[in-house]
Amino acid sequence: MRLRHLLLALVPCTALACRGGESPPQRNSFVDSRDTYDPRSLDPALSTDVPTGRAVSYVFDGLTRFTPEARVEPGLAARWDVSADGLTYTFHLRHGVTFHDGTPFVAHQVVRTFQRALDPATKGGRAEPLVPIKGSADFAAGKAKAVAGLSAPNDSTVVITLSEPLASFPKLLAMPVASIVPDSTPPDFGQHPVGTGPWKFVEWKHDDYLKFTRNTTYWGGAPATDTLIARIIPEPSTAVAEFESGNVDLLVIPQGETAAWEQTDEKKAMLQSAPALILYYLAINTTRGPLTDARVRQAINHAVDTKTILDQLMGGRGFLARGVVSPILDGADTSRARYAYDPAKAKQLLTAAGHPNGVDVELWHSQDPTIARLSQAVQGYLNAAGIRTKLVQRDASSAREAARKGETDMTLKTWYADYPDADSFLYPLLYSGSKGPGGNVSFYASPAFDKLVRAARREQDDPKRAALYRSADSLAYGDAPMVPLFFYNDLYAVQPWIRDFKVPTIFNGQRWTDVKIVGSEIRQ
Amino acid sequence: MSNFLIRRLILAVPTLAGVLVVVFLLLYVAPGDPVQEMVGERADAETIARLRRELRLDDPLHIQFAHYAGGVVRGDLGTSYITGRPILGDIAERFPKTLLLAASAMVLAAGVGITIGVVSARFPGGWLDRVSLGAAYLGISFPVYWVGLLLILLFAVTLRWLPPSGYGSAQYLVLPALALGSRSIAFLARVTRSSMLEVLNSDFVRTARAKGLVERAVVVRHALRNALIPVITVLGLDFGYYLTGSILTETIFSWPGLGRYVVNAISRRDLPAIQGSVLFLSVVFVAVNLITDIAYAKADPRVAYE
Repeated sequence: MRLRHLLLALVPCTALACRGGESPPQRNSFVDSRDTYDPRSLDPALSTDVPTGRAVSYVFDGLTRFTPEARVEPGLAARWDVSADGLTYTFHLRHGVTFHDGTPFVAHQVVRTFQRALDPATKGGRAEPLVPIKGSADFAAGKAKAVAGLSAPNDSTVVITLSEPLASFPKLLAMPVASIVPDSTPPDFGQHPVGTGPWKFVEWKHDDYLKFTRNTTYWGGAPATDTLIARIIPEPSTAVAEFESGNVDLLVIPQGETAAWEQTDEKKAMLQSAPALILYYLAINTTRGPLTDARVRQAINHAVDTKTILDQLMGGRGFLARGVVSPILDGADTSRARYAYDPAKAKQLLTAAGHPNGVDVELWHSQDPTIARLSQAVQGYLNAAGIRTKLVQRDASSAREAARKGETDMTLKTWYADYPDADSFLYPLLYSGSKGPGGNVSFYASPAFDKLVRAARREQDDPKRAALYRSADSLAYGDAPMVPLFFYNDLYAVQPWIRDFKVPTIFNGQRWTDVKIVGSEIRQ
Repeated sequence: MSNFLIRRLILAVPTLAGVLVVVFLLLYVAPGDPVQEMVGERADAETIARLRRELRLDDPLHIQFAHYAGGVVRGDLGTSYITGRPILGDIAERFPKTLLLAASAMVLAAGVGITIGVVSARFPGGWLDRVSLGAAYLGISFPVYWVGLLLILLFAVTLRWLPPSGYGSAQYLVLPALALGSRSIAFLARVTRSSMLEVLNSDFVRTARAKGLVERAVVVRHALRNALIPVITVLGLDFGYYLTGSILTETIFSWPGLGRYVVNAISRRDLPAIQGSVLFLSVVFVAVNLITDIAYAKADPRVAYE
């Protein structure tokens, strides 16, 4: 935020301002500052946004869950077996788990939870991780009274049959919407959630904060600290002030302030970084005008200097993309040759495609400051290579709708993976069945690519599956239905009195159970 | 007086009906689809179609409007597309907080602004007059966003006297009220000063002085009361704006008021929440204008309402 730098220059006493970290706080609670808007609800069935997903991961458990490093591990299911055909998953549930209200956790609640999330009466909006279950479509459409592929043969076993093999299914079950709810879900369940998770819900002041208290009998070990507070702070500069005042323990460093935090040793010592599963990319609609020609799309890739953009505009916070699969995931190819920045080559490709005088295209983007800045930079590079680009800025909702309807030539946007798997990038972004609202706003449709992705989704052998995804990614990279720019790195500042915090790679991968406040035990 | 009130209240009905129609039409023609916002980043066409049916978004416009207006007449503003909670409850939760902030800012602004204005007018060209003129120009020119961040940096981060943001005890109110009121302080001081200067030069003030009244009585009881009409106008207008959502102040200070609610609703295309809030805020605006008109009569008995 440029404004803040101006302020810093104007208020000489702010040199003293960064002393936030010198003494532990007089509290035994964690205070998080990451949420910028009110969660939609605390009902897992309604979790379609990040603040909701985070809160749900505190109060609830799924059959599986993610570690901060985004590996999948057992949750309420202690272990699971997959049938040889990859269609049937048998989950063996943990014994002795109770909900926060004391009722025991048993298998039929899993069946009920999934049916509830799929039930149109819940008006959830997105039970997409459960759609692979056999019979889910008929149930959601009201054609069946129950989901055929769901059963609980006894209190500690759940058997799930899929309509077709899907190797990433255990990861889908770690998503917030698949979190297990108790038998009783009154209409205000979203305001007063009851789960099995490490934190019990205490109160929710809308647009202000959420408060949780430790679940002393948590099956995974009770949290080390009494209370967890998630404050909702809409303005990033305010969150910085709260951090510098020592009122919050964790801060997302705003994109524009990266350099300021890396400058002083004192501040730098508080920084922690981890790759986030976020791709910044320029989607190219492969069905519009000159963009139907792969050579034009390749020209666009050659025209943009992504390295300079990452270094200069993003403070180097990220990995240059060589495809759409994050380099930390299986299926990524970190040695794939990138499109070199080569405006002359771009012009050659345009000429070869029959456009010696260049082409005219529109680039749509939202008014998000980072996205807008990146779009302007990309426009500059494209114009220089003869791809005359007109920027169209809309609010996020309108820009997204236009892209989904296929009304835009190009759109610069981000993609947040829902779960840590190559499939969460390749399938929504480029599979032909995901066109439009499914995520494929390039309207890319390649039978060869689709075949590889379908094969990968069914493949149970991890190395083979990764190889299939790698091939699919390579194929699409060559066809250039987008300019994959870079994968973003999250950068957090963590107060010095906080121990054992790990920056989560996926948004619901940090449940604060191991995190400690140094010195707090003295006051207990 | 009561006739006047009744007439004004009846006149408010077509105003509000107009607001209802305009807001409904504007949202209908504006781009952005609430269902796309509900389902998040990825969804299938079937889910989207089902949700559109459930929300009656595929009905003809006049049917949708009749359905909505029918609810409003019964006092039901509907439920949020995003959260599923009743809009009226959401407003009832947030408006008192916005009211508290707006009222505090106005009390502060009126107290400080009018005092500065009166003193400046009494000693025109004096040091206070010049300082207050300068401060007023600055106050009017500074964007509230900037003032807010400056206050946080100085009083919260550096001096640690007050919390940077949030909602709670009285100390949480000081900085946002100051940020919000700063512009009004400056403006009120200028308006009070010019109005007072005019009055202080009028015949009845000279008469008051001639009959031997002490200066304070002349200024406060005679001159100020006569100078108040334009001041009340400014107060009423500013208060109306503050109540309708001091969006920037609420955002900077993480104040959980109605302004942020409306902005969130707009960015998520939560149509019932937008419509309900705008309608509610129109009622507030009409009410504040009415109160301002009544205050004119209290300040100046020559203003009579039939």
